[in-house]
Amino acid sequence: MGMPGRRALLGTAGAAVLAVAVPLVGSPADAATAAAGWHGIDVTGSSPALELSMTRASDGRAVTAADFRGRVVMLYFGYVSCPDACPLTMSRIAHVLDNLGPLASQVRVLFVTVDPARDTLPVVRDYASAFGVDFVGLRGTPDALAALARRYRIAYSITPATEDTPEAVTHSSAVYVFDRTGRARLLIPGLASQTPDLDGVTEDMRRLIVGDAPKGLMQRMWDAVLGMV
Amino acid sequence: MDQRMADAPAPAGFGAEHDGFDGDSRTAVAGLGLVLAFAAALWWLCAEHPARLPDWAPWEFSWTQFVAAGLALFWYARGVALTPAARRPGPWRHVAYVGGVAAIYTVLLTHFEYMAQHMFFLNRLQHLVMHHLGPFLIALSWPGASLLRGMPPPVRRVIEWAPLQRVMWVVQQPVIAGTLFVGLIYLWLIPAVHVRAMIDPRLYDVMNWTMVIDGLLFWSLVLDPRPSPPARTSYAMRMLVTTLVMFPQIMLGATITFSTTSLYWYYDVCGRLYPSIGALLDQHIGGVILWIPSAMMSSAAFMLTLNNVRLNEERQPVMEDDDDGPAPISASAWTGR
Repeated sequence: MGMPGRRALLGTAGAAVLAVAVPLVGSPADAATAAAGWHGIDVTGSSPALELSMTRASDGRAVTAADFRGRVVMLYFGYVSCPDACPLTMSRIAHVLDNLGPLASQVRVLFVTVDPARDTLPVVRDYASAFGVDFVGLRGTPDALAALARRYRIAYSITPATEDTPEAVTHSSAVYVFDRTGRARLLIPGLASQTPDLDGVTEDMRRLIVGDAPKGLMQRMWDAVLGMV
Repeated sequence: MDQRMADAPAPAGFGAEHDGFDGDSRTAVAGLGLVLAFAAALWWLCAEHPARLPDWAPWEFSWTQFVAAGLALFWYARGVALTPAARRPGPWRHVAYVGGVAAIYTVLLTHFEYMAQHMFFLNRLQHLVMHHLGPFLIALSWPGASLLRGMPPPVRRVIEWAPLQRVMWVVQQPVIAGTLFVGLIYLWLIPAVHVRAMIDPRLYDVMNWTMVIDGLLFWSLVLDPRPSPPARTSYAMRMLVTTLVMFPQIMLGATITFSTTSLYWYYDVCGRLYPSIGALLDQHIGGVILWIPSAMMSSAAFMLTLNNVRLNEERQPVMEDDDDGPAPISASAWTGR
């Protein structure tokens, strides 16, 4: 083999130009999401399946993902004394469940506290149930919480209170949606923003609850290809 | 790698593996066992007690990454120990090698990784270390001969396996190496691809491995201290390649720095660590990291190559005009013939 020929050079140059152009025109809107027709972000095949080991606040029982099989699950991380983002997100999810009507009984909203030291089981139970019957408060050991947050790339931190400043808690805003089999399907952004797409979320949820026949292998492979572009 | 060996002195015990190699193979197995034992302990701790681990412990444990780092250090140390004292690399080369491996280890197998998963600019810093700084230092230490001598013969045979060498030969063609170097940075920064890589643990692993491996391939091509041959390509070509890769990186860095929209929604949803650093500021800093330090690395490589040219010329005997005419000195002066 000698030096690559002119054609190969042109090819690499073309690829380089394309590589330059793609980030320039690429918008935050995910092309794959648009292709599959979801309003939220399609994470099918990307994010790991639901797996957790927590204590359910309502009855103090240890639960795993198996306890939620057969339901469409929404997973959200927050803390009870959260002043803005958590209650806003939770009330908007409640709004979506209202929109769903009777179908809402097929949904479980898992609220996982990132502040287990202050959020005891009764506190989490009362907080979650205030948003509706389909809301499940979960509390785990620091290790179980770290493992779950790591799995779904959730950032959280607790800065203990000092004499001058109150305790500061931060956490990511992601809401993950899992289908009845526990497969990760959607990531819903912006529920705490000023203009949440609640109708879109409702439509996505309805689609996951009623007609969501599992796709064939070819279809999934094609989706994966689209997802890469 | 075999080319690096070419300039190394044929070492004792190398090429003659069966001469008293049994004792050595026992240390090789013991080293591998030690690395695997550490890996198993860390894997268990990361799986069961992630919240109790200190910041220097891994956040997401990776077997492949840990074993690769452990063996890279062990084989190097063993290779150096097996080298006759007079031929061992100098202390600065040890520092560069261990520093390079440690830098890559730090950004992948400590809690820094957690931070890099939630802030764009820290993710850029992670990639800078994985693809530029770490491999740059490793290539600068020029550890090939020590590594080959320190690794067990079966692994050495895999590395010297002809098809693998042929792949190396292709990807280290200057044009292909430069295109790969820049292309991978661009590929993993295409917004849709970047997001997938960040939420899919398998793709995330692929991304990190491609960055580290490509970094090693590229910098070991550019920072080769030897002239060509045995080096892959001429000093001039190496200086040209390291200069040319600068511009697409500057362009991408500037594009991201000056972008007025948030390009990577992943960090909006799964970030951010510091409330005071919003989406755009995060992106500005990330763009600057992509832009300035990476260009500086190219400049440093350019200067180091110039220095290699100088060192190489000083090493040449002053007999360059031999071809032009009769030799100026006649051997008869001292042979008497």
